[in-house]
Amino acid sequence: MSFTRTMVQDLRVRLAGADPLPPPPPVPEIPLPPARVFPSPKRRSPFAAAAARHTTALVGIGHVGTRYATDVVLQFQAELAVAHGAVHTELPEDWAEKNGLLPLQSRVREHREFLLRPDLGRRLDEPSVARLRERGRKGVDIQPILADGLSAVACMGAGRELLDSFVKSCEARGFSVGTPVCARFARVWLEDEIGEVVGAKVAAILLGERPGLGTGDGLSAYLVYDPKVGRTDGNRNMMSNIHARGVPPEQAGKRLAALAGAMLTQRTSGVPLDLAPLRGELGDAVGGGYRAPDPRVRLVSVGEPK
Amino acid sequence: MNLSATIRGVVYRFGSVKEVLAKANPPKSGDDLAGVSAREPVERVAARAVLADLTLAELRQHPVVPYEVDELTRLVEHSLDAAAYDAVKHLSVGQFREWLLDTRTDGPTMRAVAPGLTPEMAAATCKLMSNMDLMVVGAKAQVVVRANNTLGLPGRLSSRLQPNHPTDDVDGILYSAREGLSYGCGDAVIGVNPATDTPESTAQILTRLHDLRVRNAIPTQHCVLSHVTVQMKALDLGCPMDLMFQSLAGSEKANKAFGISVGLIDEAYDKMRRLTSNRGPNVMYFETGQGSALSSDAHHGADQVTMEARCYGFARRYKPFLVNTVVGFIGPEYLEDGPQITRAGLEDHFMGKLLGLPMGCDACFTYHARMSQDELETLKVLLGAAGCTYLMSLPVGDDIMLNYQSTSFHDIPSVRGLLGKRAAPEFDAWLCERGILDGDKPGERFGDPTVLQ
Repeated sequence: MSFTRTMVQDLRVRLAGADPLPPPPPVPEIPLPPARVFPSPKRRSPFAAAAARHTTALVGIGHVGTRYATDVVLQFQAELAVAHGAVHTELPEDWAEKNGLLPLQSRVREHREFLLRPDLGRRLDEPSVARLRERGRKGVDIQPILADGLSAVACMGAGRELLDSFVKSCEARGFSVGTPVCARFARVWLEDEIGEVVGAKVAAILLGERPGLGTGDGLSAYLVYDPKVGRTDGNRNMMSNIHARGVPPEQAGKRLAALAGAMLTQRTSGVPLDLAPLRGELGDAVGGGYRAPDPRVRLVSVGEPK
Repeated sequence: MNLSATIRGVVYRFGSVKEVLAKANPPKSGDDLAGVSAREPVERVAARAVLADLTLAELRQHPVVPYEVDELTRLVEHSLDAAAYDAVKHLSVGQFREWLLDTRTDGPTMRAVAPGLTPEMAAATCKLMSNMDLMVVGAKAQVVVRANNTLGLPGRLSSRLQPNHPTDDVDGILYSAREGLSYGCGDAVIGVNPATDTPESTAQILTRLHDLRVRNAIPTQHCVLSHVTVQMKALDLGCPMDLMFQSLAGSEKANKAFGISVGLIDEAYDKMRRLTSNRGPNVMYFETGQGSALSSDAHHGADQVTMEARCYGFARRYKPFLVNTVVGFIGPEYLEDGPQITRAGLEDHFMGKLLGLPMGCDACFTYHARMSQDELETLKVLLGAAGCTYLMSLPVGDDIMLNYQSTSFHDIPSVRGLLGKRAAPEFDAWLCERGILDGDKPGERFGDPTVLQ
């Protein structure tokens, strides 16, 4: 017997007697089939159905132990994947020109830098400044800007429709409109430099908003009067939630033109801008009024659509 | 005071205590954005070596924002407890780290020393600690607070129920609240971030939450997280308010961007102590988060961990019932990915507890940060093991108003189960009485929101 074994045996005798250690617990018998099945409820619980009239929060979803049922997990993962997919999609370099827009780019060179350096996303790179000086219409009332922001998917989706509706509505109101541009790797404040370069009275940037769970297609718009580098958020007015289930792009474009009109009339924007005269035209954009929640879309089904 | 160190024959010299503190920090995208981080890994270790050798007294003499220009620095200096400070001032930061890790230094001892520590001391110690160091010391700390129930007792893990709604539909808020309560969530507070920041809307939500609480005899607190000035006006309207909320930042200038000052919070606290509907004595709720000072260009060249600690120096003046860091909300330009968000959560919990606060954490990410759902779930377990006072809780962790991912209703009973923890004692008894829990297991009515009226 080795020294170690002898020592351990001595210790056991001294501490607890020499009885053999209990055997490991036996593997239990296989449970008689059928093992329990947790069926997905065919219909929502009355609580979930009632809640759905007031909120898109996922409530009344039940549980397995303390965790989610499998269909809840898959729905969640699909929604998360949609959001991540939207963030990580880049606007193709030739997208602007293919869509007849003047292409601009911020000082950001690649996507990771875009996420980590908001300061670079707020300034134009030198070729863009030159291009804008050479080809952009100067001294206009409104400078429209389409941009990727945090969702190129949203920009490529309803971006054109929103831009066209906004430009058309501005022209219908008799405003002079600048050369429509499209900016890559753009943050909101990039509108300040673009507006300043062309000497516009109002700059309007329409860009993809930070995706939420299951939604990568929302656009936001930020408008600023007398755009100049150094303007802050207090100088801007914004409208969010522009997508088919929120404020539809066609309608949003009209409201944004009304907002721009108020800026031109009052010669200011942001906190000092009085929105009261616009309440009728802006609708939900300045709050107020009950709107039933957008239904949460079920994303996953097995098999192919018929 | 020595500000240089040598590693493999290379001498690293630093210009100030502030620079040493910043360069000793583990990598954070926000420190890179501020241009204050170490240029390479060896320089980071050299900064830590210098920091380990500085005494706590030297840190007191060199706050990262000067006394003359910042009311938070002055607040900390004037309110420092002399006896507690004298007990530890001679220790170097390295020795202080060892004293904290020593098993003979227990929770009550740490609590006794807390009023003698400046935020810079807590931040400095943090930088010499690994994640597990932060957890071991955090788990020892004991900060017990009381409102309608008692938080922070050993073996407890509480949660804020966060039933937010994009348009403040109060019925929608109440559906989420009932669902969460049926999973055992909400013992820290039922707290709503409102979409509309008006006194009337704040009062309306508070009144309906209060009715829910009274109707079901729930031993917890409620709160609407509008701006503090809005809540003061809501109090004037005569609504019940168990906790008053405000976001805090780590410098006078950054707080100005939040529209607050020490004087304003003093006034709010005074008003709340007179008018609160909770039994007290703790009536305030604060939120913080690394990066907020830099985002308003008010960081004074300091790193984001130190600026975060300074929020706690501000918060402790008001003996709050709740303080939590919203760790991943600010975005990847401050905390880039899973490891950085995880580290920041553990750092903030440690620093808050060390400074005597009932520290909770909103473990979360925005969808443009590089953190996976698995990493986030891991962080919740780490925080639970580190003795975090409370986590958040939302339906599937999805905030449909603020569009970010946090802790879910299902996560709270899961983490409690894994770690053998339970809700606050008063709330736990209520859960058992309603059949939501059966001892430490889910009861017959677990996950059944119709148990609440």
